[in-house]
Amino acid sequence: MGGTKVHEKQKKIVEALILAAPMPISAQKLAGIVPRLTPSKAREVVAALRADYARDERGIEIWEVAGGYQLRTKPELSGYVRQLYKERPLRLSRAALETLSVIAYKQPATRAEIEHVRGVDVGAVLRSLVERGLAKIAGHREVPGRPMLYATTPRFLEVFGLAKLDDLPTLREIEDLLPAQDGNPLANGGQDPTTGLSAAVAPRVLGTDETTKGAGELH
Amino acid sequence: MTSAGTEGRPAIAVAPYAVKLPIFEGPLDLLLHLIRLNEVDVADIPIAEIAGQYIAYLGMMQELDLDVAGEYLLMAATLAWIKSRMILPPSGEEEEEEGVDPRAELVARLLEYQRFKEVAEELGERTRLERDVFRARGPEREPTPEAERELEVGLVQLLDSFRSVLAREPMEGPGHHDVETEQITVHERMTAVMQLLDHLQTVEFQQIFELEGGNLPSRASLVATFLAILELTRLAAIRAYQGVNSSGVPEGPIRLRRCEGGAHWSERIAEVM
Repeated sequence: MGGTKVHEKQKKIVEALILAAPMPISAQKLAGIVPRLTPSKAREVVAALRADYARDERGIEIWEVAGGYQLRTKPELSGYVRQLYKERPLRLSRAALETLSVIAYKQPATRAEIEHVRGVDVGAVLRSLVERGLAKIAGHREVPGRPMLYATTPRFLEVFGLAKLDDLPTLREIEDLLPAQDGNPLANGGQDPTTGLSAAVAPRVLGTDETTKGAGELH
Repeated sequence: MTSAGTEGRPAIAVAPYAVKLPIFEGPLDLLLHLIRLNEVDVADIPIAEIAGQYIAYLGMMQELDLDVAGEYLLMAATLAWIKSRMILPPSGEEEEEEGVDPRAELVARLLEYQRFKEVAEELGERTRLERDVFRARGPEREPTPEAERELEVGLVQLLDSFRSVLAREPMEGPGHHDVETEQITVHERMTAVMQLLDHLQTVEFQQIFELEGGNLPSRASLVATFLAILELTRLAAIRAYQGVNSSGVPEGPIRLRRCEGGAHWSERIAEVM
């Protein structure tokens, strides 16, 4: 067995494991099953399989999602594959996508924090995201009221084809959204960049524990 | 909140439908839309103008007797507060706030929301499992629940669709139309809609409005039916759905169907009425 050459039998086993795994299968897991395979060698084997598929112009390819490998049909074939299923594809409303985005970047985040960014009640959307396994409750924040904390799940990464959270699209910097000029009101705005909390205006969403904080100033 | 002179008229007789109602995800989304529409700088919002347009939009929703969500009203109050702060000369007592633009906090929130809105759009366009790509099915995989295969339709889409129903009907003249004698109640319409869905599996949202006897339905009757649909949706007795095309864009008519487990709707209707 020459050093960098991929063992053909290992390649066959790895291919079978990726196909049959119910969830994306990690290099560690592959290494635990395939004889004489280390995690780093597993990555080489997967790279070799990918090269095979690319060379042979196959209808499937190997993706790295949610920390593991998964065999998937090619996107350009979706029109054919979808005809296998009577059901319609996974639908996500704008409200669901926006809520997921806020959770993904701010996690773990409380409902009040998500509502502050979106400016609307997110109770129903959160429930539906948790039911669909895209978000989960990740404990409580140790502040009065012990609000629940929400985080994304591996299923979220799998559905959106992300290997890890770092692969999320980059959140633009606030400054980049403004025309470059001096004297914009933000320059004096005293805003917490992590939460976007606004102490002076505070149109907090109803039902959050901080509703009263700035409300008095409105009247 | 609403413009003067609406009192004493049938709630719907005002004709605010000249304005298109796009789908908004909340007050911040609506404000961003108005800012774009007016081609103004988000960092230098003409508050009086934008606040006026914002309130006109809320007025429109209220004309339809819809519950304008509390968050929209809070934002209206915030806009009014900022407007007053812009007009008033800075008072000596608030030395520490000198030079702070009263719009700053709102701008910060708008930009924060815009960032996530953009990311959400990117996320929505990503190659998605079970829409664009498919994986080998493991043995324990469960079929996707029915509710996930179609886009569930929200209030604003229903409102938009209802607006086109109203637009189809000839406008009533300035003279009063005697709608009171029809004695339509929302409760009756709720029962009628549910009975319809007993016979048919699904009904097109707009079709429901054509199924009110032989006569051309009056505006009051249309509104009663619309409110009945909203109430039934709230009670989870029915669901509003829209199909989607292959690229995931909502397409085709909005349809209504009974919820599974919505069998006890009549009791629930009785409870709320």
